[in-house]
Amino acid sequence: MAISDYLPFLFRPPAPRFVTEAGKPVHGVLAQFDDVAKVYHAAEKMRDEGFTNWDVHSPFPIHGIEEAMGQQRTKLPFIVGGAAFTGVSGAMLMQWFMNGFDFRFVVQGKPDFAWEPFLMVTFELGVLFSAFAALFGMLALNGLPRWNHPLLASERFLASSDDTFFIVVEATDPKFDPLATRRLLESLGASAIELVEEA
Amino acid sequence: MTTLNADAYQRQLDAIAAEPRMRDDNIRLAGAGAAAISRSLLFVGAAGLALTVIGAFVYGLRHALASYLVGAAAVLAPCLGALLFTMVLHLVNAGWAVSVRRQVENLMSMLPLAVGLMIPVLLIETVTSGTLYAWMDPEVRAHSYLIEKKAPFLNITFFLIRALLYIFVWTYLARRLWWYSTEQDRTGDRWLTARARWTSAWGIPVTALTLAFAAFDWLMSLDYEFFSTMWGVYYFAGAFMSCFAIVVLTLFAVRFVGRLNGLVTEDHFHDVGKLLFGFTVFWAYIAFSQYFLIWYSNIPGETRFFLDRKTGGWENLSFILAAGHFIVPFIFLMARRIKRTPVLLALGACWLLLMHVLDMVWVVRPTVYVHPMNDAWLEAINAGAGVEAAQAARDAQAGPGPSAWWLDVAAIVGVIALFAGFYIRKVASGPLLPLKDPRLPEAMEHKNYV
Repeated sequence: MAISDYLPFLFRPPAPRFVTEAGKPVHGVLAQFDDVAKVYHAAEKMRDEGFTNWDVHSPFPIHGIEEAMGQQRTKLPFIVGGAAFTGVSGAMLMQWFMNGFDFRFVVQGKPDFAWEPFLMVTFELGVLFSAFAALFGMLALNGLPRWNHPLLASERFLASSDDTFFIVVEATDPKFDPLATRRLLESLGASAIELVEEA
Repeated sequence: MTTLNADAYQRQLDAIAAEPRMRDDNIRLAGAGAAAISRSLLFVGAAGLALTVIGAFVYGLRHALASYLVGAAAVLAPCLGALLFTMVLHLVNAGWAVSVRRQVENLMSMLPLAVGLMIPVLLIETVTSGTLYAWMDPEVRAHSYLIEKKAPFLNITFFLIRALLYIFVWTYLARRLWWYSTEQDRTGDRWLTARARWTSAWGIPVTALTLAFAAFDWLMSLDYEFFSTMWGVYYFAGAFMSCFAIVVLTLFAVRFVGRLNGLVTEDHFHDVGKLLFGFTVFWAYIAFSQYFLIWYSNIPGETRFFLDRKTGGWENLSFILAAGHFIVPFIFLMARRIKRTPVLLALGACWLLLMHVLDMVWVVRPTVYVHPMNDAWLEAINAGAGVEAAQAARDAQAGPGPSAWWLDVAAIVGVIALFAGFYIRKVASGPLLPLKDPRLPEAMEHKNYV
């Protein structure tokens, strides 16, 4: 995720490292695998080779694939935690300012700044901020929403929602090399490999 | 149970029996160490109870019995939580928890002892016509309009009938579920699992109601003026939480001495830890809701319960509970890494058990400390004295002061040590997991993918 995903006109895109013969930038290499075991072990190999900017596509969740890929746990909890803290302290501050400071108003003989009723709003605002942070943080970390993706241009890739598994290595990966990566994926049992252009 | 035919099921049982993880030195405790710990705990328990009896002569029966009640209520809660949790596991057909379940069942099977520890309180109360339960006192009954209205429910006969009913229902359910599980160890009959599920289906509502009413009878009626419809749920929240804490501690101890390797993994700790975390939050939610509604409506009969706990030094305990029973464990147990590290989770469980005991102190002690009968506080208020003066009058009348703290410690530690001694003996007495449960293979391979 980067700001450039959302405000691309603010940034000059870096020169592509690899271009196709047609002069289009290379998005990456798409490798097709025919069963779960193959793609799982290929993922382990890719992790051990030190690739960082790559992904596995599968029609259904594969248990343990995140370990096979060596994925870090998401940073989302910290975003949500920060939002929750903001919501909770903001709500308390707001209510203190309104009822305890700016417009002191006796209700049922209760203290001006009574924490008990304020806890409702505090809890709700904490939950609200957390929920928004969770949703929008997730979208931002995933680079969503977006109009299109280069992979969708590949006819072969549509089978990733049916019965086929794919590994995609993106050209932005420091270890990416069009020929070496293709050979590596072939040696890992890929049944078909193609180069994907940027849209 | 399961779609396997008889032959395939027999093959599954054989495969489990042949599994290297299921060899005897991995699923049974060597009795000697546990027996030694159990003996010393029983000794501490006996000493504590002996001190309680001495304290009863020094400071009066009332103080001693109240401290004893704290201990008895504190050990009854996790047993009831374990009974409910066992039934929930059966009812939802929980595969992951099978290798954990025997520890829950061990705790559940301590119910007869735990409820037996309540019997002295009930007997002494009946014989002395209300040492703790002021509503039993004929003097109080004669002059209270409120008790007159509550009499159809709050009278000694019905009180004892209800107590017998609770004891019968809990003992019956606990023994029955224990029998299903151990009988299956012996015979491998998979239909026992289905029968346990059927028992659980009616057992959960029955236990939920008896638990709530037992909490009303034995804890809430300490102050007959006070009533809270949330009370049963409040006791249940503590019960479930303390049950998970004890299960975590037991599993940690068992893994520490090198048992259940590969059968109870960090994934199991993670899941029980999530439940522990969830029910500390649930406790806070219930405790706050109960307090908030009463605080807001500000009706004297109810409010007094909390006023007692916000004055006279008890406010410190209230703060400790709010921080220690909710805020600290909420932050501590939130991280995934901590729930997956057994030693840290066990540390959190120890802390929460301490808080659970303090919670029972908070429930019982302030009410008993200030006797509603011939109450100097009320008299002073009625005579037009200020709140400060009334509190001073109350404190002057409140009986043995801080010097009696050793009696509280002796009674509470005594009851808990006695219970822990028998519990450890129970854990060491059999296999540490159900041997032939049809879902055992699922538990053995349990992984937590979140």
